[in-house]
Amino acid sequence: MSDLLLHCAQLELRQPDGFKLGPMSLQLKSGKLYGLLGANGAGKSTLLQLFAGLKKPDSGHIILAQQALSAYTATTRARHLAFLSQQQAPTEMTVRQLLHLGLLPHKALWQRDNQNDRDNINRVLRDTGLSQQADTLLGRLSGGEQQRAHLARVLVQQAQLLLLDEPVNHLDIRFQHQLLATLRRSGLCVLASFHDINLAATYCDELILLQQGQLIAAGTPQQVLQPDLLQQVFGRPCLVDQSPFTGSCRVTFAPEPI
Amino acid sequence: MNSAFRLFLWCCLLAASMLAALQIGAVDVSLPSLLLGSRSDALQAEIFWQLRLPRVLLAGLAGAALAVCGALLQLLSRNALADPYLFGVVSGAALGATISSLWLPALALPVAAFAGAFFAILLVLALAQQAARQGMQNISTLLLTGLAVSFFCSAVASLLLYHADSFAANRIMFWLMGSLSRADWPAVQLLCITLTLTLVLCAFGRRQLTALNWSDDMAKSLGVAVQRWRLVLLLLCALLTAVVVAYCGGIGFVGLMIPHLVRLLFGSQVVPLLFGSALCGAIFLIWVDSAARTVLAPQELPLGILTALCGSIFFLLLLSRRSANEF
Repeated sequence: MSDLLLHCAQLELRQPDGFKLGPMSLQLKSGKLYGLLGANGAGKSTLLQLFAGLKKPDSGHIILAQQALSAYTATTRARHLAFLSQQQAPTEMTVRQLLHLGLLPHKALWQRDNQNDRDNINRVLRDTGLSQQADTLLGRLSGGEQQRAHLARVLVQQAQLLLLDEPVNHLDIRFQHQLLATLRRSGLCVLASFHDINLAATYCDELILLQQGQLIAAGTPQQVLQPDLLQQVFGRPCLVDQSPFTGSCRVTFAPEPI
Repeated sequence: MNSAFRLFLWCCLLAASMLAALQIGAVDVSLPSLLLGSRSDALQAEIFWQLRLPRVLLAGLAGAALAVCGALLQLLSRNALADPYLFGVVSGAALGATISSLWLPALALPVAAFAGAFFAILLVLALAQQAARQGMQNISTLLLTGLAVSFFCSAVASLLLYHADSFAANRIMFWLMGSLSRADWPAVQLLCITLTLTLVLCAFGRRQLTALNWSDDMAKSLGVAVQRWRLVLLLLCALLTAVVVAYCGGIGFVGLMIPHLVRLLFGSQVVPLLFGSALCGAIFLIWVDSAARTVLAPQELPLGILTALCGSIFFLLLLSRRSANEF
């Protein structure tokens, strides 16, 4: 069980608007890629925010690396986990400046960024295909490039656990696949929410299916992607077969009659 | 590099402004003879060391302090309209000044004004913290609380003045219009220390401030202790503004206008913004005070009237230019 990075038990959150998440128990293991699936408002972002320490659960506990998440300071937590939100970012900042912000939890107040940090940032810029745009203001970039810049910031943070809220949002097909391959190769533990089930099924080790704040299913794509479960969650009949390339699950939803 | 050079240029401009402002006044003071120590005229030396130098320094420091507070509050609240006076400082100070001019000896006025200003800000912060504990994390709660406290303090001050003699009301009104004629060395020292502390902290915490300017959640997930940083910075702002208001009365518009000007000149990165604000605020207030002393000499114009007058016109010009460029 030493590769258990984050787990929660009987986790529950009630929001003032009446939304209730959980109770649910989950385990995330080092080096695995987890896909979080569910319809709009199913609680994907809320769960990610709970794990990121941005919201406090009403009951239950979250254990990160053998220590209660609530026992971490903001800084030590940010060294263990990096969070990508769906929020709009300031635009008057260059990509490089944004990436330097990712080093924040590793720096004491008086420390300046050194050559090692700059090398690290240049490497991440290459990995995310942003070397050309490094000194461009975020506001001048396309939506996809901005998204990549934010992902690059998450990677610069050098955490073992990445919590990504819709990371492939705005990305074109090529970068969607490139990003997920990069995440797989990184050997980090990643929990990411997706709308594209097939993309998640291709790259993720395990999938987590949510509906109205409740955990419906968790396990390998074969276990989770059952036609009846998917119809229950997404409200459309569907067909599950195999992708001709990888043999992973492929879901096709029946179209709405017109 | 470019921005460092620009900062240097503005430092030179500040030095030149101070030298020029030291020469301006009712009594001609020749700097070289004073600094070379030829004790030709004791009165001249007295005027220079006890009146003119502290006044010019206080003008610079007060301008810098107000501008830095404005920039910081705009950063922290992510609201372009945030202003040091929005937190009930002026009305709190006015309340303190009213109480002191009605019941206390005249010398106690700055102290009472400071107490009033600081009390108002602490009240705003405490109420906002209370609201935050009840789940309202939004920083606009802070601004709205400030507005409410501000109205409350003005109402109480007005009530007291309504029943007081007209002489006291006059005194309060003139004091609120702002003046640097009460400048002395303790005020200069106090402001200098607080301002330096604030700027040093901000320079070290530039990454934290950038993250805070982005969003609370982002700052938190980047490892910033959001509540602690915000509280420390707000308290420093409160202290700076309270000192300025206590000694100089109401000097409006500097905290709102200068950061916007600086954003156009230096960009909106944290360090250039704050240090640029300090420089521009200092230069602006030094010149406005020189004008206030000389335009209608020997009569002195209230400072707050001049800052609001030229500030608002200049600001409108700036906005019309900006909107033509950007929208």
